[in-house]
Amino acid sequence: MIDLALVLEWVIKSLVVIFMLLGGFAYLTWFERRILARMQTRVGPNRAGWQGLLQPVADAVKLVFKEELIPARADKVIFVLAPILTVVPATVLAVVIPFGTQVILFGRQVNLAVADINVGILFLMAVASVAVYGIVLAGWSSNNKFALMGGMRSTAQMISYELALGLSFVLVALMADSLQLSEIVEAQRTMWFVVLQPVGAIVFLIVTLAEVNRAPFDMPEAEQELAAGFHSEYSGMKFALFFMAEYQKMIVISIIAVTLFFGGYLGPFIGRFPWLGPVYVLGKVVALLFGMVWIRATLPRIRYDRLMDLGWKVLLPLVLGLVLITATGILLADEFGNSLVWSIPVVSILAGFLTVGLVDRSLRRKFNALR
Amino acid sequence: MPNPWVFIGLFIIIAAIIPIGAIVVALILGPKKPNPIKQSTYECGLETVGDSLVQFKAQYYVFALAFLIFDVEAVFLFPWAIAMNKMPLYVALEGVIFIVILVAGLVYTWRKGALEWV
Amino acid sequence: MTIPVSTETLDLAAKFPGIVTPDEREGYSGWIVKADELAAFAASLRDDLGYDFLSSVTGVDYLPEKKLEVVYHVYKTTGGPGLVFKVQLPRKKPEVPSLTPVYPGADFQEREAWDLLGIKFTGHPDLRRILMWEGFEGHPLRKDWKEPFYEEDIKPYSSRWPEGKHSYAEDRNPFNDNVQFPKQFDPEKWVPEGDAALYGALAEYRTTDEDGLDTDHIVVNMGPQHPSTHGVFRAVITLDGEDIVSMKPVMGYLHRNHEKIGERNTYLHNMPYTDRLDYFCSMTNNHGYALAVEKLTGIEVPERTEYIRVIMDELTRIQNHFILIGMLLNDLGAYFTPALYAFEERELILDIFEAVAGSRMMCNYFRFGGVARDVTPEILEKVSALAFDRLPRKADEFDRLLTENEILVSRCKGVGRLSSEDAIKYSMSGPSLRASGVPYDIRKADPYSIYDRFDFDVAVRYNGDTYDRYLIRLDEIRQSLRILQQAIRQIPEGPIQTGKSTYLTKTPAGESYGRIEAPKGELGYYLVSNGTGNPWRYHVRAPSFINITALESMVVGGKIADFVIVFGGIDVVLGEMDR
Repeated sequence: MIDLALVLEWVIKSLVVIFMLLGGFAYLTWFERRILARMQTRVGPNRAGWQGLLQPVADAVKLVFKEELIPARADKVIFVLAPILTVVPATVLAVVIPFGTQVILFGRQVNLAVADINVGILFLMAVASVAVYGIVLAGWSSNNKFALMGGMRSTAQMISYELALGLSFVLVALMADSLQLSEIVEAQRTMWFVVLQPVGAIVFLIVTLAEVNRAPFDMPEAEQELAAGFHSEYSGMKFALFFMAEYQKMIVISIIAVTLFFGGYLGPFIGRFPWLGPVYVLGKVVALLFGMVWIRATLPRIRYDRLMDLGWKVLLPLVLGLVLITATGILLADEFGNSLVWSIPVVSILAGFLTVGLVDRSLRRKFNALR
Repeated sequence: MPNPWVFIGLFIIIAAIIPIGAIVVALILGPKKPNPIKQSTYECGLETVGDSLVQFKAQYYVFALAFLIFDVEAVFLFPWAIAMNKMPLYVALEGVIFIVILVAGLVYTWRKGALEWV
Repeated sequence: MTIPVSTETLDLAAKFPGIVTPDEREGYSGWIVKADELAAFAASLRDDLGYDFLSSVTGVDYLPEKKLEVVYHVYKTTGGPGLVFKVQLPRKKPEVPSLTPVYPGADFQEREAWDLLGIKFTGHPDLRRILMWEGFEGHPLRKDWKEPFYEEDIKPYSSRWPEGKHSYAEDRNPFNDNVQFPKQFDPEKWVPEGDAALYGALAEYRTTDEDGLDTDHIVVNMGPQHPSTHGVFRAVITLDGEDIVSMKPVMGYLHRNHEKIGERNTYLHNMPYTDRLDYFCSMTNNHGYALAVEKLTGIEVPERTEYIRVIMDELTRIQNHFILIGMLLNDLGAYFTPALYAFEERELILDIFEAVAGSRMMCNYFRFGGVARDVTPEILEKVSALAFDRLPRKADEFDRLLTENEILVSRCKGVGRLSSEDAIKYSMSGPSLRASGVPYDIRKADPYSIYDRFDFDVAVRYNGDTYDRYLIRLDEIRQSLRILQQAIRQIPEGPIQTGKSTYLTKTPAGESYGRIEAPKGELGYYLVSNGTGNPWRYHVRAPSFINITALESMVVGGKIADFVIVFGGIDVVLGEMDR
């Protein structure tokens, strides 16, 4: 039985989420440019509107009125399809995320999530990796050498990071006993998972940087080597769509990180005022996005074979170890009393330091061998 | 309550309409004056030499093979992760053994030298 | 550290009887070598006498005598004065054996001499045009070659002075374009013959690896229009996956034949043109040129001026190295933050240039026997505020922020290695040479100006990789600050110009070679005068151009991402490379 009010509620919720992402994308570009500028002793865009707040609008208008070029040698169908294939998964990721509990709106109980499915984490994992197809196809269909290399790099990046990402989802599933995102958030009522598993959270944040092609893992579009990488041949709106996908994905991935490790919509007084949920999510997301921008302003790019080493030889063993530690810790807490749950962060941090130490040692050996 | 997957399907359609709409709008509003120079392939201002779609040397194909195996195995961990403390202890231990096998596999690939670029 | 300077006088004529004769023309020095015996002579010079560093190869067209002369300058990397030897060739058929087997650093310079003067170097592995485009007719530095809308051999042109009937050459062309194509030439249908030679010089395309998998190489043009080639440099790279199999540099997109312009100009006319060579370091460019002309005319430079020159040179070096570090980080993919931090320091130094010269980048500050304006006490105060306080602090800050950065270290260490033997062999100069473990700094090895009075060390690093090329810039900034601090303390009062400053400098006939340690390497000016107010031959030994000779050996076998940082670490400016 589908009743009309439910469909209407759902359509409104979907549109709100989609337009929130669109607006978020537009203002994230402004946010990033201003923050980067301040970090680089510049001013940044401040001409269009008050404090440059109309800059995204100006950019959008410019991009709409630009000529859409399709190179003569390109595979035209795939060339047009690729940006769409990149944007859609970035948007769809947001569908399972809870932005709050339930609020009363116009006399209705409204769930602040579009579709709170019971395999939310698996859905995220599946959809997040679809986006790489768009990039690979863009690189291939452009029939351009730089683009081809960008596409190949993005595959390489995906296969280095997907494993660590999947296993850090397993960590959350272990701690929350559920794959449903709303239940994961509820499981953090007593304690955020970042406290319980701080190393897992750090690994997750590193991996998400690679997932969204952000510095220092922005290999597929490495400006210094590949001109513009996979989107060398794109212009106008199709270029804007790649841009949009990247920034939407940044936002969504930050929301996911908030949901999984930073207590999602939870915060003070959330029981009394459920509508505070989205506000808390927004605040936490802005903090994480600021971190991403900060990293971009700070770090140079890792070379891409070294990045695979990092993914396979550092992060994967570390996360496998963390899964073992977490599982053991939970079992111990079940058997011998709840306070033993604190063994998880302690041992994890030790494992984290051990990993850092080993990496440091092997790097030092390598450099000494060069002398 | 209808199946939430219906919602997700509809959401995908709405999400796809936006980029398609954007491309169509840009196609209508943007100027269209193609010429051969504009449409040539970008290669730093020179005509490109040779074919671009070649048998490209993917130096990480061994990683890709290993990735397939490990990714599938990682998915097996999800049901275990949820059910672990609702089941008897030996279930948990079996999961631990599974992870140990994974680690052993990783160590094996590493030792074999598969985790190097070719 | 002082490098021992040998004072032995060489009598090469006695050592190589029948092959070498002293150059006894008025105002000239050095030796004249027979063309046939050149390779054996050079090998013996390198192996027996220790002249292992080929500084410059160029040619001179002596039209009245119907001769072409190839001029070589060689030095010892242990220090001391250099040696000049020349080969005289008939103008009709100028052929000389290539010195690339003995000094591989002659590679690009011989190609340049072929390109601009038409001297054929037999045995050169790849004698193509290097600065002019492939379809160019003639050799522009020959004295009988005339450009489109040629007016006169030397300036000032009578159409502009004293009559002053000035008109632009372009206005006489209905298409507002002064390009003239040869007859029966259609640029649309023309295929440059050089392209086939260029791409043919690269490795073959298809390979099969051990597993029997077929892969194709791809040929990629990095540049001329690429974000990280620092201008319009072009590298044709063959890639196997991401590995560089072979690389050929192509340059000349910014070529304007600086040397031909210089030969039309009067001596002083040419000073502002030198600003445009390495546009980051106009002060040192001025200094090298002033030095060459002063050697030719024998003008003495007043004491105060020498100090001012040293101060300006070292400020230039500091700002250049700051920018290099910032831009190297940019090449590594750091999004502009280090570069903009570096620009902040550079702006402060440019403020001083503006105060003394009136201009920030194109300073045009040096004069023969002096400088254009005196430095006021207020400016000196500003300089000392920078030299004693801000810049040392900022150098430490860069060090603290960057040197230990894991990504920087792991991407730069062991990348683009160049052994000290190779560095000398390829005529690498400047910081890149010293990063390879050769402590050769002209300020110590063959002191010019008043550098022998200051107490400073030659910065040297021993691994020859990109990380050392980064570190040595920081070392040099600190050494330059030491010089700067001493110079500020010691600067005397006095005149800034010997005699009266004149517009037309008359020089006696002869030759001179003025070389300085520019921030990018050895910057040399070779001048030949025939006794008039204009140079007969004006040649620039551009460090950016010659340092690139070694690039191929440094990047092959690395990754494409390494190419960018190796290129960035050598420090080139296209205005100087292409001239």
